[in-house]
Amino acid sequence: MENILELKDVSYVYGSGTPFEMVALKNVSVGFEKGKITGVIGHTGSGKSTLVQLLNGLLRPQTGSILLNGEDIWQKPKEIQKIRYRVGLVMQYPEYQLFDETVRADIGYAPRNMGLSPEEVEARVKEAAAFVRLDESLLAQSPFALSGGQKRRAAIAGIIAMRPEVLVLDEPAAGLDPLGRSEILGGLREYQRTCGATVILVSHSMEDMAQYCDRIVALNHAEVFLNGTVDEVFSRSRELAEVGLDIPRIARIAIALQKRGVPLDGNLYTVPGVAKAYLRAWQEKQRRSTAAQAGEGDHA
Amino acid sequence: MLKDITLGQYFPGNSVIHKMDPRAKLIVAILYIVAIFCAQNVVCFAALLLSAFLLILLSRISVITILRGLKPIMFVLLFTAIINVFLTGDTTEPPLWQAEIPIFSLVWRPTIYRAGVIRAIFTSIRVMVLIMVTSIFLTYTTSPITLTDAIEELLAPLKLLHIPVHDFAMMMTIALLFIPTLIEETDKIMNAQKARGADFANGSLVKRAKALVPVLIPLFVSAFKRAEDLAVAMECRCYRGGKGRTKLHKLQYHARDIVAFLLMCAFLAGIFVVNYYNPLEISL
Repeated sequence: MENILELKDVSYVYGSGTPFEMVALKNVSVGFEKGKITGVIGHTGSGKSTLVQLLNGLLRPQTGSILLNGEDIWQKPKEIQKIRYRVGLVMQYPEYQLFDETVRADIGYAPRNMGLSPEEVEARVKEAAAFVRLDESLLAQSPFALSGGQKRRAAIAGIIAMRPEVLVLDEPAAGLDPLGRSEILGGLREYQRTCGATVILVSHSMEDMAQYCDRIVALNHAEVFLNGTVDEVFSRSRELAEVGLDIPRIARIAIALQKRGVPLDGNLYTVPGVAKAYLRAWQEKQRRSTAAQAGEGDHA
Repeated sequence: MLKDITLGQYFPGNSVIHKMDPRAKLIVAILYIVAIFCAQNVVCFAALLLSAFLLILLSRISVITILRGLKPIMFVLLFTAIINVFLTGDTTEPPLWQAEIPIFSLVWRPTIYRAGVIRAIFTSIRVMVLIMVTSIFLTYTTSPITLTDAIEELLAPLKLLHIPVHDFAMMMTIALLFIPTLIEETDKIMNAQKARGADFANGSLVKRAKALVPVLIPLFVSAFKRAEDLAVAMECRCYRGGKGRTKLHKLQYHARDIVAFLLMCAFLAGIFVVNYYNPLEISL
């Protein structure tokens, strides 16, 4: 598969040369596939937030390079702003960035900065609001009058309105209730499917990762620890557990069932997947027992 | 970028100066400032430099750190020195040097007198020692919170005049506590707006000032929200001002504080005496 965004031997150290030196990333090489949702996991301090800020040029790698469609994003440092429009970054708790008088104006901030015509800005605002399922009647309100979940969606729409080739989100669902989570993440999935966009999602929730991602990159101690499809990564649950990362609860149940001799196969990290696999196993067992009964009948 | 700003950086440590009572440090620092401004001749300034050096050694803070603390005032120092060199005139003496610039000399001839040089050197030393010593006593070795405590204690007599000393001290403490939080938050919001195409570095002054609006509004909103949360949290813990409030860490004077105070008094007295006798006859 084609990588739209690629890190090559990237290292980043905070406060190098001081007593507070901290290595955030160490020789990280990783590619993000075009048109896929890639999840980034890793526990606190593993370098996730540094990684996302490197991707859109908020931080500059001290060694190594970051390639967008094969071109180094720091080739022309003066034009890094253009890269930031192409790789949209939604920071953690993005509702803190809302500032304008109306939601419409706030979502339109980035498109206005891009120098688009007022008509184009308006079209993009409507389109972005639709993707995050923000009702059009809310566009005329002050962003500070919205509820927490609505604020979050307005902030994400503010990035989607740039129509970025790659959308990077740092914990977009943190602190929301289950309904809010599924609405935001489901909206992202829909956005990715209809626009063919590439999405990079940082999260702590393995359940969300299993449900919404195609690929997963696991970071541990500033290095890439695992990189593969959701299947590949979650099938190595023991290694994940060893570095202190979790696997979805349902995957743990599936493993326990397998240990007890229940033959499960297929997608074993989402609830519907495991339910289907269990049903298949059960049907298979039923079929066998009837076949065995039939066999016994033949002998008799 | 914003993290490079250090507002009164405190270096935890275990030196004699660290252990001194913050009230004593405040008083000693004030006496020292008096000494700096009373110093008039070369022996006094030598004593000031020597004592500043001794204080650095006592505080066990690296000389490099302290010199780095002087960097921001270097420009002011240089500027005052130049003004002093050229504009101090003691016309009873022959000038050391006089510029000969055609035409321009008709208007003003830059002239350097001995008195000007001496004044420039003395003023520079004064400002340098002032910054070094106050930062050794009050910022490098005293945490902002203990310092506020000390100010509250020292100003306690003003309570008799119904001045709300405790409330002012509490406001100061809270303000100090929130500086790092607000800096971090500003950094975060700036990054978020940069990701949306905000440009803080380029363009005209008006344009750059306008670019800050999307940073300032969210910052104010969150600062007010934090203030409200903090007020509620304080009320939940029954905070009702200073009345009847006891302290966990009560400030106490020790022998070293008294010794420091007496030494400082002796130093100040010494400066006065040397000023009067002027041994090397070089003075302002």
